[in-house]
Amino acid sequence: MQDQFIKMDSITKIYPPDTLALDKVDLEIQEGEIHSIIGENGAGKSTLMKVFYGMAPPSGGEIHFRGRKAKFATPREAVASGIGMVHQEFMLIPSYTVYENVILGAEPAGRFGTLRHADTKPKVEELVDTYGLNIDINSRIGDISVGAQQKVEILKLLYRDVDVLIMDEPTAALTPQEAGELFARLRGLNKVGKTIIFISHKLDEVLELSDRITVMRKGRRVVTVDNRGLDKAELARAMVGRDVVFSIEKAPASLGEIVFEARGLRYVDENGVIRLEGVSFDVRRGEIVGIAGVEGNGQYELVQLVTGLLSAQSGRVFIGGHDVTGEDVMARRKLMCYVPQDRKVSGSAQNMSLVDNAIMTHHRLNPEIEDRCEALLSSGRCRAFTSRLVEDFGVLVPELDAPISSLSGGNQQKVVVGREFMLDTDFILLDQPTRGLDVGSIEYVQEEVVRRRDAGAGCLLISADLDELFSLSDRILVMSRGRVVAELRPEATTREEIGEYMLGAKDAQEDWRAREEVGK
Amino acid sequence: MKKQVLPALIGIVVALLAGLLILWAQGYPPLESYAALFSYSLFSKFAFFSTLDKATPLILTGLSAAVGFGSNCVNLGQPGQFLIGAMAVTAFGIAVDLPAGLMIPLSILVALVAGACWSGIAAGLRRRFKMDEFITTLMLNFIADYFTLYLISGPMLDKRMYSPLTPMTNPGAWLPIWNGFGSAFLVAVAAFAVVSVLWNRSKIGYEWRAMGQNPIFSRTGGCRNDAAYVWAMLLSGALAGLAGGLMIMGGMQHRFVKGIGANYAWDGVMIAIVANNNMIATGLYALFFSVIQTGSMGMELETSVPSEFSLVLQAIVVLFVVASRESTRVLINNITAELRMRRARGRDKGMGDGRHASNG
Repeated sequence: MQDQFIKMDSITKIYPPDTLALDKVDLEIQEGEIHSIIGENGAGKSTLMKVFYGMAPPSGGEIHFRGRKAKFATPREAVASGIGMVHQEFMLIPSYTVYENVILGAEPAGRFGTLRHADTKPKVEELVDTYGLNIDINSRIGDISVGAQQKVEILKLLYRDVDVLIMDEPTAALTPQEAGELFARLRGLNKVGKTIIFISHKLDEVLELSDRITVMRKGRRVVTVDNRGLDKAELARAMVGRDVVFSIEKAPASLGEIVFEARGLRYVDENGVIRLEGVSFDVRRGEIVGIAGVEGNGQYELVQLVTGLLSAQSGRVFIGGHDVTGEDVMARRKLMCYVPQDRKVSGSAQNMSLVDNAIMTHHRLNPEIEDRCEALLSSGRCRAFTSRLVEDFGVLVPELDAPISSLSGGNQQKVVVGREFMLDTDFILLDQPTRGLDVGSIEYVQEEVVRRRDAGAGCLLISADLDELFSLSDRILVMSRGRVVAELRPEATTREEIGEYMLGAKDAQEDWRAREEVGK
Repeated sequence: MKKQVLPALIGIVVALLAGLLILWAQGYPPLESYAALFSYSLFSKFAFFSTLDKATPLILTGLSAAVGFGSNCVNLGQPGQFLIGAMAVTAFGIAVDLPAGLMIPLSILVALVAGACWSGIAAGLRRRFKMDEFITTLMLNFIADYFTLYLISGPMLDKRMYSPLTPMTNPGAWLPIWNGFGSAFLVAVAAFAVVSVLWNRSKIGYEWRAMGQNPIFSRTGGCRNDAAYVWAMLLSGALAGLAGGLMIMGGMQHRFVKGIGANYAWDGVMIAIVANNNMIATGLYALFFSVIQTGSMGMELETSVPSEFSLVLQAIVVLFVVASRESTRVLINNITAELRMRRARGRDKGMGDGRHASNG
């Protein structure tokens, strides 16, 4: 038996006060393999890598790297030993060029601390060529796509000459095409001898890419298997500990009258950039309309215009037959509920209690929690209301007065979803309702959405997750560069087709390029 | 609630102990000094009533700052609002002569409105020109300061006097003093009750708190943050104005004297910060600080410890409470984590599953 390349022994990590993130995890990784670590959110995948990479000290256990005991105090030490990690959020300076970002932190300093580019620039260029990264190292980070930025992150590590590449959920922000490219690149790197640790919670990716797969659940390693003839359902079961329904069961849509309509929306931001142009569509009762698109193609602005947080330069918004174009957020909330995309930023106040988070919006619209005096809220009724929410939506809580931050992400999202659905409106706007949730919570939220739809509500779903769009939507609209470029039926299209539209269908893209040229 | 009270109590006790050490190191008799400090602030009727007198403006300026900070409005204009409130009540009390039954409620109203107007200027500037209230309220303090100084040394000067002060207001505007107990304190208590209910129970109070914790959350939830901001600023200013007004209506002077604002406003800001914008804690700290401030006079008298020593005690309390608020929590969390780790190890050994336990 060969000497273990990476061997983690009984790694334990406790985040104060008593969150057991890793519970005696043993893991072996062989040299030159692509090893995937898969698990639900909160399973400990990222934590394990952070411990390995020197970002978080372990509470117990040992790590051996190349047969020697390794204890990295900082990521810098890990990099020096040949281990590099690409994080979910990129760590790049937008105003610097690709080259400058690559050498940042490892600058070739000459005498008097001046930079010597003569040696390093060719080296970086050579790396780009060798690994076929196909990027211009003189372009600025802010000008290149997310996929290209990820290449820069990889390039940074190659420049530092690492042998082990840790990729933390690298496909989260990529289009299907870009993800495909990434896989090809990772295989290429693997072929020249790099060991790759690939963290993900997407089964398909892991099955496509890896040599071996480790499944983690609740801070423990469940199993490590060779990727040969594995059954997807079996892997998923190991991941969540029970069977997961992959496509949500839903009856065909029975359409009712129009409950939401956008007519000719146009929005130009402060910098004069056209964010939305001629966006018109409608949502009927009893259907779920999905909106696909790479982030930053106008979905954000669309949501803000629908909720009333922004107002359009032209166009109108109708909810339930009422023209609400000039109305403010609260007036619209009588007709719609809204699950915002970031529960920590806009969906909750982390330091406030569960009760205070649960009654938002209800405090003005729901007479049920009012005191006898109309200007006051009854604390007893607010608590009763929150208890009902907790019960109906299966939220696991220590106590109602605890701050919402003491709940897990999935439970926080249940509070947000529950709060909104309890407004009981006919139009539901969902912006990335399952992002960052574990499989169990995703399933719960999705089922809840379908239940609402079957009860006659019209849903508008914005999601970056194509699986979600396919399994939930009755119609899919694709947004690209501020326009709705396609309307598709999930049963009559493929994700590749949607991906093409997301990237801007050929002709549409040409059109835009031409316009940009004129603009310059 | 308990979690908030415990660090506060620890902070106060530790501050008093540290004060004991400082007194001892400086060669003062520590225990006698403390005995004097408390007997001159609590342990006689007169002492207790003067503590309550002192607490009156502190409660109100503390509430003013807590309402402001707690709803994400950085109102640092309490000194100006205080002076304007006091000046408005003085002018009203000189110009109008009505029976006390009318005069007292009207004067209180005048103080509230005057303070609210002064903070309202800052709120308006923010709404109209996006000027940061942090700056404008501070600047308005200077304007209020010199404006009132101009009034009391010119147009409103009491010509019979040799220093800048106004004539006395008409007696109808005087708050009664019963057997040494100044009824201004009752006004402060009433204001405290109203503000507490408003803050903790009302819809607008909920929006203020939500806005203070996360303005994006409250805006997304449909709260009208712009309106809530203006109302919070107005209430904050009104409370500081009332604190100033009561300085004229209560006590014995009943006139606007130079330096009437003393340090009440900044003490209020400090109290709100120590209390973490919690209303009950604000009231309690206001009382505690006035105990120290009142008693320090007596301490100077008895053991010749300079009365400035009260500042030392206040400073230590602030440092301990504010610093320990976060660190106590972290400390407790870390201890819990450590215990859990030990328990986990114990479990290993107990089960005879010693595979890896020896490494830990």
